[in-house]
Amino acid sequence: MSRLFVFQNHRKSLFGRQVACSLWLLLLCFSIEAWAQSAAPSARASFSIRATHLLGFPNTKNNCNGDLTIKDDALRFEQDSKPEAEVKIASVQGVFLGSESKQVGGKLAKVGKAAAPYGGGRAVSLFAHKKYDSLTVEYADDDGGVHGAIFQLSKGKAENVRRELVARGASPGLRDDDSMEASTAEVSHENK
Amino acid sequence: MKTSNAKLCICLAAIMVVADAPGRLSSETASESMAAVSGSARRWSLQVDRVEPGEIGLAHSFQVATYENLLTELNKTHQFMRVFREGDRKAGEVSNLLILKTTVVKYAQGSETRRAVTTFSGATKLSVRSQLVTREGKVVLDRTVNGNVRFFGSNLRATHNLARNIAKMIKESPCIGSEQPSATVTGQLTAGSLRGEL
Repeated sequence: MSRLFVFQNHRKSLFGRQVACSLWLLLLCFSIEAWAQSAAPSARASFSIRATHLLGFPNTKNNCNGDLTIKDDALRFEQDSKPEAEVKIASVQGVFLGSESKQVGGKLAKVGKAAAPYGGGRAVSLFAHKKYDSLTVEYADDDGGVHGAIFQLSKGKAENVRRELVARGASPGLRDDDSMEASTAEVSHENK
Repeated sequence: MKTSNAKLCICLAAIMVVADAPGRLSSETASESMAAVSGSARRWSLQVDRVEPGEIGLAHSFQVATYENLLTELNKTHQFMRVFREGDRKAGEVSNLLILKTTVVKYAQGSETRRAVTTFSGATKLSVRSQLVTREGKVVLDRTVNGNVRFFGSNLRATHNLARNIAKMIKESPCIGSEQPSATVTGQLTAGSLRGEL
């Protein structure tokens, strides 16, 4: 009798373990599914960065600041309080990086430096420069015409934009401007 | 009294009509002749090809800036019926099409900081060979054009000056206005770039 009781108890505990195990597995499945669902949109999340549009983007003024955004399947540039312009990433034929050193301060600083006595402006110019990244994007319009747009970004930021564009299907450039700069820096070339 | 007033009014109106007629006639004639001249000059469309870096490793930003500035400056001249980009399918439908090919000949990368500090060094110099070619491959115009930035402005400003000089050279070229561009012009444009240097 007591043996029967022990056997029944053992069966009950086995059943309980099985239920707990299956519940745990079910919970694990749900959590994995939930994690996958939450991770999927983050892979397609928008990417935004502050940039200066130098030239070439459609319906955008040259030399203006704004936000360069990669959202869904388009590269967008939005000037402050103005409608955004966009280019489909699928139409991007090449993304090239480069770097440039520029004088800071704009026209006002230029006038100030020119007006400074005893060549003080030149001394200021020696230190008033900053390095930027340049991002060149080549793309085609609906008729197949080739366009090019140049953006200026803070040092080290252009690579992130290119990585994001390439991840979304844009074709990367074959050679960057950086590699060319090494061969052309401050040297005059002549094609004879 | 009333009839005399009416006659006076009629006379004045007649005088005004007679006085205005020759002017109107001359202005109409002038506008017709202008249209005829611009019509012959604007018989051609132009396709701008991308800048060929040649053997010189010109930065992509410079190539793209030159290409875009060329399109802007050539559109500004109103010299051509239409200005197409490279790869534009609509260019294939046009009968009178010239193709502008640009190849980099010489490039000296300058420095904006050096220009600002010294004023005599650090100039960015860009020299290209510009060719206007017909669809059949006949060279109509072959010139070397310079674009420099010597004092103020970023390095990319050289591309703007260069594009302006090329557009000016094409505008002043005698062969574009003719119906059949048969004359071949070769040479080098250096003095024209002086105004573009800043």
